[in-house]
Amino acid sequence: MKIGAFIPELLRHLFKKPATVDYPFQKLEVPRDFRGSPYLRPELCIVCRACERDCPAEAIEITATNEAEKRFRMVIHNDRCIHCAQCVDSCPTDAMQMDTRFEISDYDRHNLKMEWEYVRAVVKPKSEPKTS
Amino acid sequence: MATVKTLIYLIVYPGLLFLFLYSTFVEWYDRKLYARLQNRMGPTHTGRFGLLQPIADFFKLMAKEDIVPDRADRKMFSVLPAVGLAIVFTAMLLLPVWNYSLDRPSVTSFNGDLIVLLYLLSLPTFIFFLAGWSSTNLFSTIGGARVLTMLFGYEVPLFLAVLSPAVLANSWRLAEIAAFYRQRPALALVNLLGFVIALICVQAKLERTPFDIPHAETEIVGGTFTEYSGKKLAIFRLMMDAEMVVAAGLLATVFLGGFPGGALLGLVNFIVKTLVVVFFLSLIRATTSRIRVDQVVSFAWKYLAPLAILQLLIVILVKGLIS
Amino acid sequence: MKFQIPIGPQHPALKEPISLRMTVEGEIIRDADLRLGYNHRGLEKLAEQKTWIQNIYLTERICGICSHSHTTCYVQGVEKLMEIEPPKRGQYIRYLVSELERVHSHLLWLGVAGHEAGFDSFFMYTWRDREIVMDILETISGNRVHYGINTIGGVRRDLDEQQVKHILDSLAILRERSEYYQHLGTNEPSFVARLAGVGYLSREDAIALCAVGPTVRASGVPMDVRKDDPYGIYGEVPFEVCTADTCDVLGRTVVRIKELFQCYNIIEYLLKNLPSGPVAVRAPRRAKPNEVVSRYEAPRGENIHYIKSNGTDKPERLKVRAPTLGNYAATIKMLKNGFIADVPLIFAAIDPCICCAERAVALVDARSGQERIISMNALKKLSRQVSAGNARKREAEWPL
Repeated sequence: MKIGAFIPELLRHLFKKPATVDYPFQKLEVPRDFRGSPYLRPELCIVCRACERDCPAEAIEITATNEAEKRFRMVIHNDRCIHCAQCVDSCPTDAMQMDTRFEISDYDRHNLKMEWEYVRAVVKPKSEPKTS
Repeated sequence: MATVKTLIYLIVYPGLLFLFLYSTFVEWYDRKLYARLQNRMGPTHTGRFGLLQPIADFFKLMAKEDIVPDRADRKMFSVLPAVGLAIVFTAMLLLPVWNYSLDRPSVTSFNGDLIVLLYLLSLPTFIFFLAGWSSTNLFSTIGGARVLTMLFGYEVPLFLAVLSPAVLANSWRLAEIAAFYRQRPALALVNLLGFVIALICVQAKLERTPFDIPHAETEIVGGTFTEYSGKKLAIFRLMMDAEMVVAAGLLATVFLGGFPGGALLGLVNFIVKTLVVVFFLSLIRATTSRIRVDQVVSFAWKYLAPLAILQLLIVILVKGLIS
Repeated sequence: MKFQIPIGPQHPALKEPISLRMTVEGEIIRDADLRLGYNHRGLEKLAEQKTWIQNIYLTERICGICSHSHTTCYVQGVEKLMEIEPPKRGQYIRYLVSELERVHSHLLWLGVAGHEAGFDSFFMYTWRDREIVMDILETISGNRVHYGINTIGGVRRDLDEQQVKHILDSLAILRERSEYYQHLGTNEPSFVARLAGVGYLSREDAIALCAVGPTVRASGVPMDVRKDDPYGIYGEVPFEVCTADTCDVLGRTVVRIKELFQCYNIIEYLLKNLPSGPVAVRAPRRAKPNEVVSRYEAPRGENIHYIKSNGTDKPERLKVRAPTLGNYAATIKMLKNGFIADVPLIFAAIDPCICCAERAVALVDARSGQERIISMNALKKLSRQVSAGNARKREAEWPL
C-alpha cells in the first residue's frame, strides 16, 4: 500500500501530448488491409453468384436484366453489409474488392445502395472458390 | 461613492458577475486539468481552448425541459436550487477579497466571519440532502442519506483544521488571519498538516472523487440529482462550481495568506491562490477511486479527526512558544 | 426497514439491459433477484436458417468483446462435424488472435472495474493501452471488433514478417504497462479498499454454483478448458493456469492481471514457433448428420457450443452457452450481505455480457409450472393488466 501511488504517472502526463485524437478534425490512418465497404469490378465478374450465396447479411443481389445479352445488375446494399469481406473470399476472379473507407454513414439508407449494370465477363477463374 | 462601491462589490466583483464567470472558468480549469492528467484533451472547441464550454453547458441546461416528478414536494423541489445558489454567493461576499478594511469591521468583514462562512458552507450540504429527499426517488433518497452520513465524517475535522490557524492568529476574522500570516510567513508552515486535512475535507464537502458517494453514477444513478433536470440542474451545477471557488478561497485565505493589494493585485492574488488549491483538489480527484460511505466515516474519525486535534495541539504549543 | 431498489434494466452501471432487484436494509443488501430477458435476439433460431459459412459471422455477433471466442468455438465444432483439420499455421494464427482477444478483454475489464469503483484515471489509462492491442488486431484482421479471421478449415488471413515484428514490439510495451497496472491495482489504497473482501465466493460455493472463468479461478479452483481439455494447439503451448485464493473482487482482478502475462508468453511462443504452410484447407459445404459439443476458454470463462447437423448446408440446431450464464448463480450469492455501493463492482467482476447469455424466453406459470407460448399482443395486454392493478406506491420512507 502506498498513498498516492498514481501521482507520479499522472504528473508525468500533465505536459505530454494527449493520447486521444481530435477526431473529426484529425483522422487516423487505417491499416492497409482494413475492411471497408465492398465494391465490384464488373469487368471481372463471371456471375457465379458465390458472393450472393455466401453473404451472411444478404446484402448482395444479382439479377439478370437481359438474359439474351447476358446483362446483369448487381446491387450491394451497404445498409445491410456487415463488412465481413466473405464476398471477397468467395469470389473466384477478384471481382469483389474491399475499399478502406470507414466514414460511410448517411441519413438515408437508400443512399448507401451501390449498383452496377454490366455484361458478364469471360474470365477464367484463377481457382475454384475456397468453399465450393 | 461608498454606495456605488458596495453595489459594485455585490454585483460585479467579487459578487454575482465575477463569481459566475470565475466559477465557470474554474470548472473549465478543473476539467481540463483532470483530462490532461488522464492523457486526454478535455474541452477544446467551444471558445478558445474550450474556455466557454462550461458556460455553453450552463445555457444548454437552461434551455432543456424542466421536469418536476409527480410525487415530489413541488415547492421544496423548485426552491432548493435558488436557495442553495444564494447561500453560496453570500458566502463569497464574506471572503476578504477587495472591499474591506483591516481596522474597521464592516458588513462583510467582521469578527467571527470565519465561523459564519464555515456554516454557510455547511448549508449547501443540507440543501443537497433536502433536494434528494424531496425528489422521493429511491436513488435520490439513498443519495440524500449518504450526504448526511458523510457530513458526520468530514465536518468536524474540517472545522478543527480551519480553526487552528485562527487560534494561532488569535482572531476570528478572516482578514486579520490572512494579515497575520502575511506578516509572519514562517508561521504558515505550522499549519501544513491542517492544510492537508482541510483539502481532503473540502474535497468531501464538494463531493468529488474519492468522496463522490452521494451521486456515484455507477451505484445510484444521479444520486441526489437524479430527478433534477433543466434549469434547476443548471443552477445546482453552478452552485457546486461556485462552492468550489468559495471553499478554495477560504483555504487560500486561512492557509495561504489571503489576497492583499486592493482591487487589481488582489484579483491576481485571488485567482492564483484559488487555482493552486483547485489544482490540489483535481489531483486528489484523479489519483483516487471512490470509497464507500462507511469507509469515509471510519477514515474521517480514525485519521482525519485525530490529526486535526494534533494540529490544534501543535498550534497551541507554538502559540505558547512565540508569546 | 427493508426496501427494494431496482438496478436496471436501464442503469449507468450496466452496459446492457438486465434487472437486478436488491432488497436492502439501509446500505446492506439482504436479498438479490436477477431478471433476464431484455435482450433476446432469437440468434439460435436464426442460425438454423443460415449456411455453415454465414453462421461464422452470425456467431461472431453474439458478443462484441469476445467475438472471436464464439466463432472459434463454433468453427471448432463445425470442423469436427466436417471431419477436417485446419493446417498448423492456420491454427497458430487462430489461437494467436484468441490470446490477443483475451488481452484486450482483460484490459477492458480492468478499466471497467476502475470505472465502476469511481477510479476514472485508471479506466482512462488502461483503455489507452488497450488501443495497442486493438491496433494489432486491426492490422492482423482488418477490423477492430469483429475480426472475422476464422473460416471453416483455418483462418482467412496470413501473417507476414512485418506484422510479426510489429506484434512483438507492441508486446514489450504492453508487458511493461501491465506490470505497472499490477503495481497500481494492488497499491492504491482507495482502490484496494474498494476491492478487497468484496463479493466473497468461497471455493465450495464456486464449485457448487458452477462458476466459470476468472470468477472460479479467483476462488482457488484451477479450472481452465485450455488445460483441462486442451483444444487446438493448447496441448503443445506451455502456460500456467492463474489462480488466487482471496475469493473476492481483488482476487478476480489479480487473476486477470496474471493471465495477461500468461497471454503475452503464449503470444510470444506462438509467434516464435509459427510454422510455415497454408493457413486454410478447403471445407465442404455440407456436413454429415452428427452432433458435436465444442468447448472453448473465452476470456470470461468456458464457452460451449452444441451443434447438430442433418446433412444439409445448414445446422439443425446451434445452442450457445455463454460464460456469463454460468456465473449468474454465483453472482446472487456474492451480492448477498454486501453494500449497495459494491453492486456494480461485484456484478462487473464476473465481466457480464448480457446479450451473450440471453438465449430464450420461456413463460412459466408460477403456480402450475406449465410453459406456454404467447403472442406479442397478448403479452402487451397482460403487462397492462398487471400494471393497472398496482396501487400507486407510497411516499418514500426514511431508509436508516
